[in-house]
Amino acid sequence: MSQRVYITGLGMISAIGNNVPESFLSLSQSRTGIGKINHLTTRYKDEFLAGEIKLSNEALADLVKDSNPALNRNSYIAMLAAKEAVMNSGIDTNDGLRTGVISSTTVAGMSKTELYYKEMFVKDDHLNVLDTHDCGDSTERIADYLGNVDYVTTISTACSSAANAIMLGCRMIKHGQLDRVVVGGVDALSKFTFNGFNTLMILDREWCKPFDENRKGLNLGEGAAFVVIEGENALNLRKGKALAEVVGYANANDAYHQTASSPEGYGATLAIQQALAMSGLKPSQIDYINMHGTGTPNNDLSESMATKAVFGDQVPKFSSTKAFTGHTLAAAASIEAVISVLSLQNNMIFPNLNFTTPIAEMNLIPETKLVNTPLTTILSNSFGFGGNCSSLLFKKAS
Amino acid sequence: MTKAYISGTGCISPQNSIDGEWFFDTINPAKGDFFDALEPSYKEYIAPNLLRRMGRAIKMGVAAANLAINQAEAKKVDAIITGTGLGCFEDSERFLLAMLDNDEQFLTPTSFIQSTHNTVGSQIALIMKCHDYNFTYVHRGFSFESTLQDAMMLFEEGKDTILVGGIEEHTPNFVILNRRAGKFQNQNTAIPIWKSTTEGIQMSEGASFFVLDKIKTEKSLARVDGIQTLYKPKTSQDILMKLHAFLKLHELSLADVDVTLMGFSGDVVFDEKLKELLPIIEKESTAASFKHLCGEYHTASAFAMWVATKLIEKQKLPKTVAISDKTPSKIKHVLIINQYLGINYSFTLLSQC
Repeated sequence: MSQRVYITGLGMISAIGNNVPESFLSLSQSRTGIGKINHLTTRYKDEFLAGEIKLSNEALADLVKDSNPALNRNSYIAMLAAKEAVMNSGIDTNDGLRTGVISSTTVAGMSKTELYYKEMFVKDDHLNVLDTHDCGDSTERIADYLGNVDYVTTISTACSSAANAIMLGCRMIKHGQLDRVVVGGVDALSKFTFNGFNTLMILDREWCKPFDENRKGLNLGEGAAFVVIEGENALNLRKGKALAEVVGYANANDAYHQTASSPEGYGATLAIQQALAMSGLKPSQIDYINMHGTGTPNNDLSESMATKAVFGDQVPKFSSTKAFTGHTLAAAASIEAVISVLSLQNNMIFPNLNFTTPIAEMNLIPETKLVNTPLTTILSNSFGFGGNCSSLLFKKAS
Repeated sequence: MTKAYISGTGCISPQNSIDGEWFFDTINPAKGDFFDALEPSYKEYIAPNLLRRMGRAIKMGVAAANLAINQAEAKKVDAIITGTGLGCFEDSERFLLAMLDNDEQFLTPTSFIQSTHNTVGSQIALIMKCHDYNFTYVHRGFSFESTLQDAMMLFEEGKDTILVGGIEEHTPNFVILNRRAGKFQNQNTAIPIWKSTTEGIQMSEGASFFVLDKIKTEKSLARVDGIQTLYKPKTSQDILMKLHAFLKLHELSLADVDVTLMGFSGDVVFDEKLKELLPIIEKESTAASFKHLCGEYHTASAFAMWVATKLIEKQKLPKTVAISDKTPSKIKHVLIINQYLGINYSFTLLSQC
């Protein structure tokens, strides 16, 4: 019936590197990208840490080789990561097959809008910000940068956005609507997001400690990651190479609270169970879970409950890689998809940094050191405001 | 091929569309160069404790969803899919201005919490206690189209009843800024909008929701046969070729289409390709317009789908909607050809069921 879908290209830019090889180096050396705030203008610059991309907007503009003044940080990083994914896969968007771009973002052009919003009422210099504020802007920039794209759309489901972009991409191929698709997410750090999370009092002033009893909150990050997904027909046609197979995915809603997760992790449990059911894999066949694990008291407890509900006493090895990258919001699930594929390719579990004490009532202990172990199947979770819960299941390409 | 049967609609627009009896008889013109939605008394649709905190986009969305669900008498839905170009802009702007005015101090989280684009979809899920599939599309003139494409796939994947909707709101500040940027024109210079020779649109807002069923029921009002999006087609000929192929897929030709609702925005540049297509549409089908009623916004095509459903239901094309002088003898098939900023084009085909 419907064809199998494979990841054939990876692209990523975040605090731990400007591309996939740099990111892999940071991950395998347990080197976090979270540190002092350098690029974001905020009065809290010296009070909080963040996972910033180490390049200024000017340096990013040089990398994309486009001096269009309408571009913003969101577009730059999206274009770079999407291009890397396409180059990595080796697909040619001019070969007549149907190519889609499905991206996702939460605040889109806000990092630029917030600089000029008040000025725009009195001066004309930056009124073009109105054209690039919305979520669709960076997606169309990617499409035009890649060329010959037949289909574009954009998703915004808060911190689970990119998981849903990946899911939609797989579905559109299975339904025969596209042959391959560049999917992922992007969020540049903005003062708006930073202050939003600060008012919710879920930012840790020190390095975040996912799944630790004494966790205080998350560190925000920024980034973009895209993967190329191809149907087996298109892949076989060009005799391309698969990096991993997407064997399961699911989207459920917690329907508990606008921002908080239910204490028992009901939506998360549904998402994990349904992704497993789709893949036909038993819980015992999962080798590793890349957790959502933001480091907030609420998320990590709720996700632990869901994990226990599904896996019982046989919880697979797991870690959250948010302490490397910070929480990159819409990009998180695609960054973690790239990390998951790197794990499969290298048979490596990247550690859950900064963990010392397990959550008392859970007693779940993540991997805290780099682990070299054969990996075949990886579950990756992403949950967001609005109760959006999504899980993805990746399998080593056979 | 999978079809979707519309069993309930809810529409908040600059017109009196919330009134089930209204059929394009009295028309509200734009307020100069923009439209405001005609908002109902929300108390009928939303519990007071929820209402107090909701921004306008959320209120419009939840109320329109409520209307659609009530009309369909749907006990539950298997998926909630929303589309919005700018999301909860009022809450975003409120948080942004508070942050800028107070130098990042004394902020409260409410407007930030509600600023995320998926707030409407998640509020509906919360109210309906729906733990199932929940998606929000945010791609300009494809935001609503994507909800329909997704729903069609979900029906093939086994879902039975799906709520889809498009929501947009503007704020007084956003209107001022867009006017300053020269994006608007006064309605008097663009009457009728399909004959406009000047640049500029009339920005607007609204919410249109639909309950879709996989199978036909006695509640079915109209059927959605198919949907296709076109990104940056180069010429009107490209659009026409794709349109013929789209209709052929549904075993139709343009001559079978009784009414074609065209997304003229009043901006001579954005409308150029539709204007080139108009004589062909008028010859083969009967041309009609909808943005002179709802104004221009990312999810105006959701309003168009509401219009199409009404035309099929009433079997009549009111003069206030028509472009052509022709009167169709029957309304079996309605085609929507939308464009947004001359970049995002879409076809949606609806039929009598």
